[in-house]
Amino acid sequence: MATTVLTPTATRARSGLYDWLTTTDHKKIGILYLGSSFIFFLVGGVLALAVRAELAQPGLQFMGEAAYNQFFTMHASVMLFLFVIPMLAGFGNYVVPLMIGAPDMAFPRINALSFWLLPLAGTIMMLGFVLGGSAAEGWTSYSPLANAKYSPGVGTDLWIVGLILIGTSSILGGINFLVTIFKMRAPGMTMFRLPILAWTVLVTSVLVILGTPVLTSALIMLFIDRNYGGSFFDPAGGGNAVLWQNVFWFYSHPAVYIMVLPAMGIVSEIIPVFSRKPLFGYKAFVFATATIGALGFSVWAHHMFTTGSVYLPFFSFMTFLIAVPTGVKMFNWIATMWKGSIQFSAAMLFALGFLTMFLIGGLNGAFSASVPVDFAIHDTYWIVAHIHYVLFGGSVFAIFGGLFYWFPKMFGVKLNETLGKIQFVVMFVGFNMTFFPMHELGLMGMPRRIADYSPMAGWNDLNLVATIGGFLIAASVLPFLWNVFISLRGGERVGDDPWEGNTLEWATTSPPPPYNFDRLPEIRSERPVFDQRHRLAGRATGH
Amino acid sequence: MCPLRPALPGAEDPERSRGLVMTRFSKGIPQGAVIVALGALAMLLVAACGTGVTVLQPPAPATEQGKATDWLYQVVFIVAAVIFFLVEALIVFAAVRYRRRKGDDTLPPQIHGNNVLEVIWTAIPVAIVAIVFFISWQTLNTVDAVSADPKLKVEVTGFQWQWQFTYPDQGVTIVGLPDKAPELVVPVGETVQVSLQSRDVIHGFYVPAFLFKRDVIPGKTNVFDFTPTEVGTFSGQCTQFCGLLHSQMRFSVVVKSQADFDAWVTQAKATPTPAPTPTPGPSASAGGGGGTGGQPAAVSLSAQNIAFDQAALSAPAGTAIQLTFVNNDNGIPHNVVIHRDSPTGEAVFTGDIITGVATKVYDVPALAAGTYAYVCAVHPNMTGTLTVK
Repeated sequence: MATTVLTPTATRARSGLYDWLTTTDHKKIGILYLGSSFIFFLVGGVLALAVRAELAQPGLQFMGEAAYNQFFTMHASVMLFLFVIPMLAGFGNYVVPLMIGAPDMAFPRINALSFWLLPLAGTIMMLGFVLGGSAAEGWTSYSPLANAKYSPGVGTDLWIVGLILIGTSSILGGINFLVTIFKMRAPGMTMFRLPILAWTVLVTSVLVILGTPVLTSALIMLFIDRNYGGSFFDPAGGGNAVLWQNVFWFYSHPAVYIMVLPAMGIVSEIIPVFSRKPLFGYKAFVFATATIGALGFSVWAHHMFTTGSVYLPFFSFMTFLIAVPTGVKMFNWIATMWKGSIQFSAAMLFALGFLTMFLIGGLNGAFSASVPVDFAIHDTYWIVAHIHYVLFGGSVFAIFGGLFYWFPKMFGVKLNETLGKIQFVVMFVGFNMTFFPMHELGLMGMPRRIADYSPMAGWNDLNLVATIGGFLIAASVLPFLWNVFISLRGGERVGDDPWEGNTLEWATTSPPPPYNFDRLPEIRSERPVFDQRHRLAGRATGH
Repeated sequence: MCPLRPALPGAEDPERSRGLVMTRFSKGIPQGAVIVALGALAMLLVAACGTGVTVLQPPAPATEQGKATDWLYQVVFIVAAVIFFLVEALIVFAAVRYRRRKGDDTLPPQIHGNNVLEVIWTAIPVAIVAIVFFISWQTLNTVDAVSADPKLKVEVTGFQWQWQFTYPDQGVTIVGLPDKAPELVVPVGETVQVSLQSRDVIHGFYVPAFLFKRDVIPGKTNVFDFTPTEVGTFSGQCTQFCGLLHSQMRFSVVVKSQADFDAWVTQAKATPTPAPTPTPGPSASAGGGGGTGGQPAAVSLSAQNIAFDQAALSAPAGTAIQLTFVNNDNGIPHNVVIHRDSPTGEAVFTGDIITGVATKVYDVPALAAGTYAYVCAVHPNMTGTLTVK
């Protein structure tokens, strides 16, 4: 019968490179996602260093306004769309099928397509640099500034095309995650036994599927405005400049949760394991995640309080309200550590970095929810501080925590813990040096996105501190690169379950075989591997 | 010995264990949490009640509206500071107090949750945000109030990359230039109503000392009031990224006494267009002197989409030049300034700024042979090379 014919085809030997290029294995695709996103992290980081170097002192020392505007625009575009979002999708890809006991994603080939769209899109976006200048309107690309009249270069068109491709990748990935989580869970894994990371990826996927098509439509309209004589966003032709902001933020505010919810999921896997306790208030945590997802679609106009075009009290209230489920999560994480047995591994340190810094990102965001206060701080460096406390203090710390946590599963070797702790300390100090002074700069009146400032403004010292901090962050990445290099070449070999994990990925080998599991433990809670370990331990000692 | 003994009442059935251990948790709270809370409060008292707090404070407000916003800021700041110290202290306390000791392999109590606690730490934040929202809303009504009968009306127009301030009732117009940021002069203690309009892209009218900004949006007029409370000069800047020279789009608000303001109005009226200095060509600079004897050479140049139509021009030396300048950018001001050698060289001719669509014939005095650069003073990115031979 046909089954005997299939086996030789599947085991045909292939070269390593060909295998990576054509793989549909979610684990390899996950690693590809993580690797390519990390390269874009380095690219975005270099662009950030260029921006910080220019701002270290007043006057233009290293570049003109034209280059500066391209650099900060592409820094944000690369970091948001080519690093944080795909990086978290990479964790989802690698970990979620393992966590739910599935052999692969539901649509492996679509999964490969989702990934390969990203390097293509990233290349298209960056091509602007060699074709007369990249996009330079800020990552928000406000129209009419982004119209052909004011931004005539091809860079902006390339930016639009790249972003549409990234959006397509996200939508395909979102559908894939939803089907995988709904249809491919192992027997016994009910929805309320789903690991929290899988829950956050699920809610994120819903946000992606509802939000990204709106951004795609907006981008197509902008493309028509620029190239085919449309005037959707140009008041000179009967369009509306604020319309762009509405459709853009309808996606891009939920996008903040797309970049934060899976990070919360990662932290929620790390803290229980290194506290040796279950996550406190599992169901409350799930409901809080769903609430953030739902409220996330009703707060977009808080980016537009100063336009004079939105009904302020409604969006103000919803923005305040979304702080509540986030607060619930914070208390649940702390309660998880309470009375625990906390081990300060590098992964746990990064998770603690997430808790302490994301808290600031939540609190300094609450200032903007208060509309008159937002009038004072909107579009200043306060907002730059806010987004970085959310996306660096939050997402990036969680990402490094996740890398230290799952590296042994991916490669069978641990990353060096000492190097990891050095990296954490330097990064934590550098991060706060860079971004905390920006609160003060914002209150003093320094607008964002300026290439230069007056030496009389009194912003010199704080800008210099921020620049030094920025280079400290860059320095903290070096031990990580060295760490990955030496660990892959001969790191400490560890067993299948080096951290005494809770979830199913720790029940298979490191790295896992194709299709992941030979057999699965019994699933009777959200911690099947914990249950199995301690039931066996209990039997062994006659408990 | 089984190191796990105290911990696992529900290992056989994890579902059941959730209800059991909760009480133990709530009993465990007091010692640690009280210390933490007291510590946080102590830090807070130091931070908030000391009169010399200078951390994270906005500038001293210089308007009535700004004072309302400043009061609201202080409320939000204190609430945020309390939460910050409390939660950070809890995180640090938990991490330090419950760190794993060397050789300790016991499993801590497996607490799955506590519904009472969940309700408490949902309800308290809801109450806090509801109160802060209500206070913000009330303050918003003060800050956003627009008078039906303002003392002074000013029309502020933003364009790449300058500001124009028009006083319709006084008949005064001020336009900024790259080397001279415009000043918005207003009397102290009176309500000033600003209406904002843009000629091109979105800008942001922001004065830090007023704790206020409002976007300047094409196709839409935004109106707000401010009532300055003290005499002085307050710097302002565009906050909405508006393209190449966004960082140079600065202005200042000069608050004068009523008498000084009236005097300023009289003086400003006497010099009709103070800003776009219609500099006559400095005769001393043209090497060959007058050269008005022959026919003036005719040269034409136009501006469209914030760019000159020609990147290079040429003209004969020693003859006056008649430069016909056509500005095709509707509503956007341009001019032509001729500099020796390069755009940063000495200016030998400065043409009047004209707002498109419009045409102007500039009479440029004779120039010595050499290379010159022509630039639009409003848009320094508009440049070209003039060769005189």
